[in-house]
Amino acid sequence: MAQVRTTTRGGDTREARIGGGARIRGRIHGEGDLVVEGQVDGEVAIRGDLTIAEGASITSEAVEAHAVTIAGTLEGDVAATGPVRLAPGSRVRGNLRGTAVTIDDGARFSGKLDCEFDLPPELGGAPRGDARGRPPARR
Amino acid sequence: MAANVTVIGRTTRVHGRLTGASDLEVQGFVEGEIVVGGDVTVDAQGIVGASVRGRRVIVRGAVKGDLVGEEAVLLQDGARVVGDVRAPRVAIAQGALVRGYVQTGEGDGAPARSARAQSAARPAAARPAAAVHERAAVAARAPAPAASPAPPKVAVKPAAAQERGAAHAASGTNNAGPRRPPPPVVPALKKTKGQIAKKKER
Amino acid sequence: MASTVIGAGITIEGEITTDEDVVVAGTVRGKLSAKEGITIEHGATVDADVAGASLVIAGALTGNVTATERVDLQSGARVIGNVKAARVTIADGAQFKGNVDMDV
Repeated sequence: MAQVRTTTRGGDTREARIGGGARIRGRIHGEGDLVVEGQVDGEVAIRGDLTIAEGASITSEAVEAHAVTIAGTLEGDVAATGPVRLAPGSRVRGNLRGTAVTIDDGARFSGKLDCEFDLPPELGGAPRGDARGRPPARR
Repeated sequence: MAANVTVIGRTTRVHGRLTGASDLEVQGFVEGEIVVGGDVTVDAQGIVGASVRGRRVIVRGAVKGDLVGEEAVLLQDGARVVGDVRAPRVAIAQGALVRGYVQTGEGDGAPARSARAQSAARPAAARPAAAVHERAAVAARAPAPAASPAPPKVAVKPAAAQERGAAHAASGTNNAGPRRPPPPVVPALKKTKGQIAKKKER
Repeated sequence: MASTVIGAGITIEGEITTDEDVVVAGTVRGKLSAKEGITIEHGATVDADVAGASLVIAGALTGNVTATERVDLQSGARVIGNVKAARVTIADGAQFKGNVDMDV
């Protein structure tokens, strides 16, 4: 089982890159950014930003990262602490959670989107006083 | 002055269904299903509290309900949507916020067929049949969206079985068709069950 | 002031309330009430009680009509229902069946 680690040193992030010809089966975790140009089958948990390049693919039970940009294929759930973006040509199947989710015209997607926000009070959202009322905890 | 675009103004509140063939722009408040053949635009101040179906559905305001576009659903900056989104093309721009199930692609025309089967079944007063059929088609699509050939096959056969069931229900011979719970999601089983049901109805 | 236009290809079943003008060219079933003017165009079908400031009717309306100012039935109008307004005009060619109450 392969393990790829990226480490930070005093705030510096080193970018890890999985090249086009690489196929990884296993768990990837680390502090920095990750660019996937090959194929990954396994959990991904990084603190930095994740980019899935065109032609690349990730199949995973769980993908955790800060910002996630997908131009290739992803099958699996994404829990991002930053924004998630699906570029045109991307194919994604799974549930996405992030601060914002952007799907460009031409992306193919099926799954749930879960952004935190409130509907206006006319539709039952939090009253105007609350800045960003948190929805009741689910799990 | 014949008008082909309907505009629900900013201070207008509609509590009821909105249907028709033309385009629609919502600047005010609509609490009721919207089903039109043209484009639906929900402006930045627009608020819709029920599902919306149109050719293209463009949202800049707030919607609590499902969005179905025959052609596309475009959520623009400022949109806040809680509900499922389905269309051949779905774009969610920077600044749009969504909570719900989103599916792009048509599944080879399955939604169009289900819409036509639905409107064919409706005159036979088979609204429960149409709802069951739509739920069955959606359930069939949900687990295997990547396997494109499978869903349309599954969607067409239940459509035929349900339409016959609807016709039977209308003639009053058998209520088993529309009342049946949605068939299981496995395509092979669904086909068999449909045929068994047809035999029962005879 | 912006107006609400219910176009020819649209049917609304339910209640509509607004502070603006309303022009109905399509179909309304239920209830319609506006703070300003309501125009029901030729070709429109309204099965509803209608209330507004001033109403101009050139289409088909079945229901009670109440205006705080005036109601004008134009040629081509077909109205079945009671009309209540300070001023009422019924043009030649308009069809009307119901009570008229000008004692507001």
